[in-house]
Amino acid sequence: MGRIALRNLWERKLRTTLTALAIVLGVMMVGATYVLTDTIDRSFEDIFTQSNEGVDAVVTKREVIEADDGQVPPFSEGILRMVERTDGVAEAAGGISDPQVAIIGSDGEPRGGNGAPSFGFSVVPERFDPLTYVEGTKPATDDEVVIDKATADAEGFGIGDQVTIAGKAAARSYTVVGIATLGDIDSFGGATMALLTLPEAQRITGKEGQLDQVQVAAAEGTSPDQLAANLTAALPRSVQAETGEQNVESQREDVGEFINILRTALLIFAGVSLFVAAFLIFNTFSITVAQRTREFAMLRTLGAKRRQILGSVVTEAFVTGLLASAIGLLAGIGFAQVIKALFDAIEIDLPSTGTVVEPRTVILCLVLGTALTVVAALIPAARATRVPPVAGLREGTVVATPRERRLRTVAAIALTVLGIAGMLLGLFGVLDPGEAWVGVGAGAVFIGVALWSPRLVRPLASLVGRPLERLRGVPGRLARENAVRNPSRTAATAAALMIGLALVSFVAVFAAGLRGSIDDAIDKTLAGDLIVSNTDGFSDIPVAAVDAVAGVDGVEVASPIRYTQDDVEGAGEGFLTLVDPATAAEVLTLDWREGSQELLTELTPEQAVIDEGWGSDNGLGVGDTFDAKTASGETLTYTVTGTFKDTTDFIGDYAASDANASAYGEGQNVTNVFVNLADGTDTGAVRAAIDERLAAQFPTTKSENQEELKDSIGAELNTLLGVVYALLFLAVIVSLFGIVNTLALSIHERTRELGLLRAVGTSRRQVRRIVRYEAVITSLIGAILGAILGVVFAVIVSRPLADEGFILSIPVGTLLILLVLAIIAGVIAAIGPARRASRLDVLEALAYE
Amino acid sequence: MNDSPIVSAVDVRRIFGEGEAAVKALDGVTVDFPTGGFAAIMGPSGSGKSTLMHILAGLDRPTSGSVTIDGADLSQLDDSELTELRRDNVGFVFQFFNLLPVLNAEENILLPVKLAGRDPDPERLAALIEAVDLGDRLSHRPAELSGGQQQRVAIARALLAKPAVVFADEPTGNLDSRSSEEVLALLRRAVDEFGQTVVMVTHDPTAAAIADRVLVLVDGRIVRDEGAETPEQVLDLMKQAA
Repeated sequence: MGRIALRNLWERKLRTTLTALAIVLGVMMVGATYVLTDTIDRSFEDIFTQSNEGVDAVVTKREVIEADDGQVPPFSEGILRMVERTDGVAEAAGGISDPQVAIIGSDGEPRGGNGAPSFGFSVVPERFDPLTYVEGTKPATDDEVVIDKATADAEGFGIGDQVTIAGKAAARSYTVVGIATLGDIDSFGGATMALLTLPEAQRITGKEGQLDQVQVAAAEGTSPDQLAANLTAALPRSVQAETGEQNVESQREDVGEFINILRTALLIFAGVSLFVAAFLIFNTFSITVAQRTREFAMLRTLGAKRRQILGSVVTEAFVTGLLASAIGLLAGIGFAQVIKALFDAIEIDLPSTGTVVEPRTVILCLVLGTALTVVAALIPAARATRVPPVAGLREGTVVATPRERRLRTVAAIALTVLGIAGMLLGLFGVLDPGEAWVGVGAGAVFIGVALWSPRLVRPLASLVGRPLERLRGVPGRLARENAVRNPSRTAATAAALMIGLALVSFVAVFAAGLRGSIDDAIDKTLAGDLIVSNTDGFSDIPVAAVDAVAGVDGVEVASPIRYTQDDVEGAGEGFLTLVDPATAAEVLTLDWREGSQELLTELTPEQAVIDEGWGSDNGLGVGDTFDAKTASGETLTYTVTGTFKDTTDFIGDYAASDANASAYGEGQNVTNVFVNLADGTDTGAVRAAIDERLAAQFPTTKSENQEELKDSIGAELNTLLGVVYALLFLAVIVSLFGIVNTLALSIHERTRELGLLRAVGTSRRQVRRIVRYEAVITSLIGAILGAILGVVFAVIVSRPLADEGFILSIPVGTLLILLVLAIIAGVIAAIGPARRASRLDVLEALAYE
Repeated sequence: MNDSPIVSAVDVRRIFGEGEAAVKALDGVTVDFPTGGFAAIMGPSGSGKSTLMHILAGLDRPTSGSVTIDGADLSQLDDSELTELRRDNVGFVFQFFNLLPVLNAEENILLPVKLAGRDPDPERLAALIEAVDLGDRLSHRPAELSGGQQQRVAIARALLAKPAVVFADEPTGNLDSRSSEEVLALLRRAVDEFGQTVVMVTHDPTAAAIADRVLVLVDGRIVRDEGAETPEQVLDLMKQAA
């Protein structure tokens, strides 16, 4: 039986290839995800390892709370003296390592893309120096700099050129005295590097008298572990000592979180593609089992047992799955670069040196793809075993038994209802982890609707088919009849496309809602005329920019805003906004529940105003107190003086006075400056003056008015949407293969009928039309169901956000475009099958057995 | 020739459909087939001959009555036991050959034995291959063989496992007269040389004449059961039956 299975695969190469392609694409995405993230992980490990070469121990500030931006606050220079006095230390060097020291490009904009760090380092002694100087030498004076080779190459900077470097202090110009790489790594993923003398590095990062780290070399006979232990004993609790290796590991752990998020996100898209592929496999095997009824019946007559029939079909699935998974894995290794390019295109540069294919990736891809294929083929295989021997001898095939049909209806209802319930329970936090349950629920709804959809095929085919019939006459009518001839087949084919389109329209609806809500929040909360922020839209800007803006004539108020994090006793991670009490009320308008704008003005360092929702979650109201542990290790106690309703988390969990900024390690940073212009001033002129001053001193900042802010948030959202659409596109492609496959199989089945049509005078062109319209009808059914489901999902998922100000709006235009795209997709999918159908030889087709 | 029947049917009835639409395909058939005999079942279209053969072979179950093959009462067997009985004790030859297109001639002959997970008796296989007379075409796929050659492969397939009985359903219905002759000769050889029992459904008098015995079925009943030496005699039988 195994041989029959293999021969069947070989004989039906086209079908096997089309089925396999679905798995190939799904597995490719899984493989690419692991290859890409493993490669990034390895690259970071290389970077960290090379940076720590010659370093036996590292002293850093002890991290009290984990900040999302991964920045560890500096510590006092005095620690260096204590390190030098510790037993077993041969040499110690204090250094600055700051991720916000930008090199300004020749266009006046900071180098580096979204989120990639722009490192500022200080010169360290030879034995700790990880840099390879491609040209020139280390900076010796405060106006000299060494820059990384990638930046030098991209900007055409050479030795002796003047470059502008911007940090927390006002930007200034330096002479390039060297060009370097980190070990043998040319580029580390869009990140830039500027090497300065220690005093200059301290000055430009606003860390005068402070250090980010002390690198230590052990004396002869002292092991790194011993050295770290000695240091831990000798130094205060506010700092920690790790061996070089431990330090590499803890740095890896920090980026590991980012890599995990990336991996999970990409795997979700891979999962969608695989899910769609499973539908396709199920459908293909269902059709071929039906077409081979005679063959199975004959085998049964000759004495093949049910188990042997099952084995034959499962073997076919197994071999198809295994081969396809292997090809998918190979394709995935290449596709990792495509995903990287996609991120590069939106300026998220990921470091990747070499390609890392872990054994885990190989095993996972092969097992996943093969298992999925076999599982999806199980129901059709079981159906094949139920073919009675007589079926081979009598005309007519056996389809689903009434029992199966009844089960199907029950399963459809159960899955849809349970799926929606699962989504809701996940969303409202009853089931944990919520996100996973939402996903599982959505998957169940998809299967449920797919089981339902054979009943929807007839009405939907009428809906989309009638206009075709009116326009195109007989071919249109035949196409519609063909589409409804086997409703479960059409339904399963359409269901594959439905999944992709449901997710696309869900994202479209959700994004439209998000956009509207953000605009609304900006309108309601932000009272200022201008907002100053980092050019990348989210990083911090130097605190000195506040005074620079305030000093411009015509500026009435320049109010600094800091978004930061802490650890609130009993409530966990807290997100808060530090405001300047003197000016906050003039630039922010809160939606007060208890209290009023005056509370902002009167805010003392011991007081906080809190988000009503966060307060009720944690049992906090006016008059209550809470403890917050900050990045510096200091614990602050706040008394709640008022509550507000925070639409779209503009403020976070609570707002407090920026008198506490240093405790939060934010003394040198602000997130935004909200600016009010004096009445009666020339807005354009004042803004021009502000921009001029910012460009000269703080080139990493930009000013925007409310409309521009909305637009730039919208643009960021669109960029993100682009990536999501691009990744979902893969699932849509898989479903298109499904349409091609189903059409090809149906045409094969109808060979004799097509011959008859041609014999009675149907032109080749009309035959092509019949096939094409059937494809369009199928894809439109999928698109309509998908669009409806997408909107339903968006409504469900946005429920918990409704009281946070989420405004649901349905982008009708976008959804209509999706339907048009589905028509085009149908036409494209039909090209091959239609050509095949039109080329049938009339006589041969009629004689077809 | 042994007189004890290898296949026997007692008062077999088979009704298709229900109520008004019910059709009596078989209406009380009782018949025995002794070992080593060659019987032809004849009758006009719709007389129930194919249904009788399906029921005798255990492919279909009677509405009432019983069938035994080699002492086994088919009504007592479950699906799996019935499958094994077909595999080991019954050979089939069909009008449309029903060879697996993906296997070559030799593999098709071996299929039932392989399904049973056994190795073929090499002597018998050699004798059958000789009898089938395919020469160098053994490694060809069915699509590359003539109708007569395909049917001879099908007969070899049916005979390989030494079944208790071979059922042939219109084995010449799709063949030209020369191929028909070859196929009938092979079936005759199966009975005479290999000692097989053959039950053949046909409406070709020439084919029926090669059998030892001709049963004529009309409206689901056996109306004639006697020997006929020539096609003319068979035709006479048919006329009498009608």
